[in-house]
Amino acid sequence: MSAASAATNVLVVEDDPHLAAGVMENLRAEGYEVTSAGTGEQALEWLATHGCVLIVLDVMLPGIDGFGVCRSLRERGDSTPVLFLTARGDPADRVRGLEAGGDDYLAKPFHLQEFLLRVRAIVRRWEWYRSASATAATAVLRFGGNEVDFRAFRARAWTGEAQELTEKEAMILKVLAEHTGEIVSREDLLERVWGYDVFPSTRTVDNFILRLRKRFEKDPANPRHFLTVWGVGYRFLKEGES
Amino acid sequence: MKATRVFQLTALALVLVSAVQVGWWLFDQHAYTVEKVQAARAAYTEQVAAAQALLDAGVNVARVEQLLPSIVVSGGRALLAPQLAQALTSEERRRYNQYAWEGSFFLLALAACMAVIARALRAEARVHEEQESFLALVSHQFKTPLASLQLSLETLALRAPPPEAARRLIERMLADLARMELMVTQILESARLERGRIELKPEPLQLSGAVARVCAQLEERARLERVTLATSIAPDLFVASDPLALDVVVRNVLENALAAVQGGGSITLSARPESGAVQLEVRDSGVGFAPADSERLFEKFTRLPGGGSRYGTGLGLFIVRRLMELSQGDVSARSDGAGRGATITLVWPAATPSTAVAQAAAVPTSPVQRGAAVEEPRP
Repeated sequence: MSAASAATNVLVVEDDPHLAAGVMENLRAEGYEVTSAGTGEQALEWLATHGCVLIVLDVMLPGIDGFGVCRSLRERGDSTPVLFLTARGDPADRVRGLEAGGDDYLAKPFHLQEFLLRVRAIVRRWEWYRSASATAATAVLRFGGNEVDFRAFRARAWTGEAQELTEKEAMILKVLAEHTGEIVSREDLLERVWGYDVFPSTRTVDNFILRLRKRFEKDPANPRHFLTVWGVGYRFLKEGES
Repeated sequence: MKATRVFQLTALALVLVSAVQVGWWLFDQHAYTVEKVQAARAAYTEQVAAAQALLDAGVNVARVEQLLPSIVVSGGRALLAPQLAQALTSEERRRYNQYAWEGSFFLLALAACMAVIARALRAEARVHEEQESFLALVSHQFKTPLASLQLSLETLALRAPPPEAARRLIERMLADLARMELMVTQILESARLERGRIELKPEPLQLSGAVARVCAQLEERARLERVTLATSIAPDLFVASDPLALDVVVRNVLENALAAVQGGGSITLSARPESGAVQLEVRDSGVGFAPADSERLFEKFTRLPGGGSRYGTGLGLFIVRRLMELSQGDVSARSDGAGRGATITLVWPAATPSTAVAQAAAVPTSPVQRGAAVEEPRP
């Protein structure tokens, strides 16, 4: 798999041949290169040696299920975005999918346009994130004794402690860092990081900011880098507010 | 359902209270008996003491024994009459025995009641759980072809594909519809089978004829999927089975085999007599399965990794097993492993044909049957 095709390749993991064929044809029509796998084991094997921009992952697979595949990927440090397809659409299942490390979740039967919209949103988000972390200057962020490596999703806090960042945490940090000193609204953060209404409220953003403060602020209760702008959103400062 | 549950729980509570009461009654009776026996003993001891006092005071023996009938005097000492001491002991023993028997009988009866009620409650919970998981599985099984159908339709609407691609989409949609129809049929069949609502009327049936009918229905599909169907069944093999059950069994086994050999392959059907039975083997060159999974295949909604039931409903072989059980027959599956094909073996009780059918059977009706007829055992 060449680097060029990995940039447009989508892996479809679906055991139903008709559905897999339909999804693949539509992705090809959108200009993606598509690879398919019928089981989770096959998918994991392929991903061990290949890269792709997105994995469309059925949840109920024979053998290891979709959640299991996603968890294994995340455990081995693979941050390829995952869009779950599932026959079960209840909220509990949706939460399980997102907890397993999925980026988005679509219940069967789904609308083609919605599917394509979500695929585009995920891919666009990751393209932005990658290109925004492409140069040596943008790949690493230093502030208040902390050092964040956007490409490795790792950080070293001011305490010297090594931190593993989730993709969402890294993306939020990226958006804030791109607008250092400016006010970024919660809606903007949701739109840039989630891109779609996966989560019902902007409270989610607040929770992620709390986590970032806990990781990087010397006194999380009195933040100097991740500042709340009441009623609007957040402002990030590199030097810290005195 | 709910009223039954309330009734069962009330009964369980009543039985529990009764058990506690029996326990209390036993304890109370025991305490009462102990008290009575002690009182009797104390009374006797007092009498002995009184008698001894009289003797010591010089009253003559006969007079003492007359005044206190429970006392005997032996060698100048007053003693309790031996038969009285014995009577007291045996009465004590009799009572304890009675409590032991009655108490354990009642407690046992109550424990049995509790076991029966608890069992009913557990069975009900299990049925409820099974229904829930059945519903979840059924909805999953339906949603996949439904999703495929919707995707194909929306693809047609969105992309206006060229005729060739459109035809492929339409064929896919028809296959999805057929799949859902088969699923509805099989769900109804399996539900009826599970509730034992099916009544089979076995009669002598010519196996080759029944198999040929099913094969004829599936021939076109086999041709399209580049699967060769070959049968080798002697026309004089008769099985005792319900005609509809035989048809459903053979159809389901063949559907299963077809699903397993997607993309080309072969399915061979051969039959032979076997001491009072007739055995039909359906061998396919398809995806096969791990030998350890040969039993799981017959469970509801089994999906084996890399299995050939991708288009299947997960109910076909479950129905086959139930019908074969009801037909006093048997079914088993074996495979040398994934990718190495599979063989399903069906065994029915052999039947003696009625004369009219036997005569019809004597005239082979297809080249396949004629070919097989040569191998007939000669008398």
